[in-house]
Amino acid sequence: MTVTTTLTALVPTGPDLTGYRIGEPQRAGALTVLPIHGPQRPGIVPPRSGLKLHQVVGYGSVELHNGAAAGVAIVPLHIGYIQEGAQNHALCSAALLAAGQTRRFPDACCVQAAQGGYLEGRDQWFFVLPWELRAAALRLRGQEGYSKLWSDISALNREYGLAARGHLEQIISRRRAVLTQFRSRLELLPGQLGALFFVGDEFAGLEIAPDPAYFAEVWMPLVCFAYGVAAWRAEPRPGKPEPFEVTDLAGLRAELERERTDHREKLLAALPSATGAQTAEEERYLDLRLHTVTGGGLAGQFVAEHDRLVYASLFAAREPVAAG
Amino acid sequence: MRTVELLHHFSTHATPLGLPRGGEVSWDDAEFHRAAWAADPEGYLLTALVPGARPQQRARALLQALAASWAGVADGSRVTLEKATRAILFDLPPATVLTVLLALRRLRANHKHTTRAVLTFVLDHPQAPTLIDARRPTLVDCFEHALGKATARGCARRIAEGDTDSEYLRRNLLRFGADPEQTRARVTALYGPGVPGVPVPRTGVAPLDPEREREPVITSTNRGDVAATLVHLYRGGPEAELRPALGRYLAEVTRGLPPMPGSIALVADTSESMRGYGDREWALLSQAVALRLVLAEVCPRLSVVEIGAGPEPTDLAGGLLDALATGPELVVLVTDGYENRLSGDLARVVATLPRLGIDTPIVLCRSMFTGRDDLTLRNPAPALPCLDFWHQDDFAGLLPRLFAHCADGRDWIHAAVRHRLDHRLEGVRP
Repeated sequence: MTVTTTLTALVPTGPDLTGYRIGEPQRAGALTVLPIHGPQRPGIVPPRSGLKLHQVVGYGSVELHNGAAAGVAIVPLHIGYIQEGAQNHALCSAALLAAGQTRRFPDACCVQAAQGGYLEGRDQWFFVLPWELRAAALRLRGQEGYSKLWSDISALNREYGLAARGHLEQIISRRRAVLTQFRSRLELLPGQLGALFFVGDEFAGLEIAPDPAYFAEVWMPLVCFAYGVAAWRAEPRPGKPEPFEVTDLAGLRAELERERTDHREKLLAALPSATGAQTAEEERYLDLRLHTVTGGGLAGQFVAEHDRLVYASLFAAREPVAAG
Repeated sequence: MRTVELLHHFSTHATPLGLPRGGEVSWDDAEFHRAAWAADPEGYLLTALVPGARPQQRARALLQALAASWAGVADGSRVTLEKATRAILFDLPPATVLTVLLALRRLRANHKHTTRAVLTFVLDHPQAPTLIDARRPTLVDCFEHALGKATARGCARRIAEGDTDSEYLRRNLLRFGADPEQTRARVTALYGPGVPGVPVPRTGVAPLDPEREREPVITSTNRGDVAATLVHLYRGGPEAELRPALGRYLAEVTRGLPPMPGSIALVADTSESMRGYGDREWALLSQAVALRLVLAEVCPRLSVVEIGAGPEPTDLAGGLLDALATGPELVVLVTDGYENRLSGDLARVVATLPRLGIDTPIVLCRSMFTGRDDLTLRNPAPALPCLDFWHQDDFAGLLPRLFAHCADGRDWIHAAVRHRLDHRLEGVRP
């Protein structure tokens, strides 16, 4: 199984993935990341430096603005904004925004129940919805209703031993000091533009950006919040280290490398197949096509241009946690 | 007793000396101190002066040194012991010294060096006038224990009667003080009415540990000059201005430090997580590089294994194996504590080494942003001894604790402390 076919199996109805390379894994607690390097698609406006939250029009409706002079912006899937003392929102879908365009998303989810106030334009750090909420949020795209994700958030909080409320802030903000350490525990490598994420040995998600600069801007929201939340809850307790069965230093080095290789192969073998998944085009901008993937245990969205992959955010579809 | 154990005990065991009214001195680690003193009196006391030793331990060292006989101690060592005890007398909070002096009285220790130390404290300590006001009966007890009650009171009576320089006063009192006029004034105060309600000074007058500049808000550029200059270099500041300054600041840090002859391998983590981001960008890396530069100045046989600088993530386990391959006396892992490659690898490699007959000491040194960093997830090999640092001032205590693992470490520590003793502030020297 080559690396390309490994990735191709994950991205249905096939954009060309030739040239993408999967690197050596990094593991921090329960979270393992395999970096992806590959072909770049320059000119896409990245979300932190180019995309701005323009305003919150009302609960469940936000406006984003592509402030770049040139270049289409790909709004990352499930991007959300948290601000002190204000109502916080996340989007249910990715999107394509032309340069200078302002667009309203009336199907946004409010992620903080029962607190007044709106987001303001300042202090715009963003997150990506935790893995456990992503399938539900994707299913809710196109549906209006600011409170539509509250029951799932509440159930997630309860599952994590927190107060059963529709406040994602209980995790994203109050556990921020622990979650943001994933940014240091797992390092973004030079030239990296994507990653495979595993929680435990279970495949969690595939994320690919148009270029390394774009990926660098989504790296922290992905590693700390999209996948870091589940990994934080699954953080293993440190055990007694097991010595290697070797007799000299050279043997120790060889055994260390062998175990690392075995670990990588084991992870790649655990990747699911997109067989059985369906894709549907959501929107297009010139030759860029945004597709949604559902079924076959996978969910998410990807952007292709002609037959080349430009952006992907695909994850193992967890059933929505039961609403309490 | 190994220096590394002594240093560890001095920096971790914090139970205060107990002196219950009418009871015996309560000293839970007395046997440890007695054994260390018996093995090497001079080395024991010098080691207690290493920055980072707890005041409770310095108090014990003072008590041990002043309670024990110095018979059989060579003349050269006696001079060092005198300097070291004087340094501790002036370093510790006065209330702690008073506890030691009362313990000596309770133990009926009356060696000549005991007398000299007690009288140095009463007659020469710059804070003595305040102490006499605050704790007059205690100081009188200590004074009378040192001189003998009859002699002490005889001296006080003579001074009260106007005697300034009689043979009796010179033989029994004045020879112990640095300044005869000050000595007479203090004895007069000791036997005077006292001033109720005066608080005891809370800190010593000549701290042995570096007096730290501490800003209310810690930034990446107020954690010592070497690291601050490096931060400006990393930010793209002018090399022509910053490089010479870096050399000057480095010389200040290493001034007076003897060369460390042992072979030391430094595994230097230079990865993305060491760089950091936001307000803390460059903070951890700059302090780690500052330590590396200091080690390079002090250790002529330093070898460096750099990890995390290339396209691969930090690999502490691989770096350790590379360092061990050079056959060093000591391996120093300088990192932020994030393993990055595969967590658990370093701990497994460390657990394997004894099976291979490799007993090279390995010390993990964690670079931090402040002394209050959360290190819960930053201990990749809990079996390794760990030294943390965040400010340039921390190097004064960190270097001895590192070098203590080398064969030459004991001598290096003693030489470094002797140098400091010889360059104490005016007024603190004997």
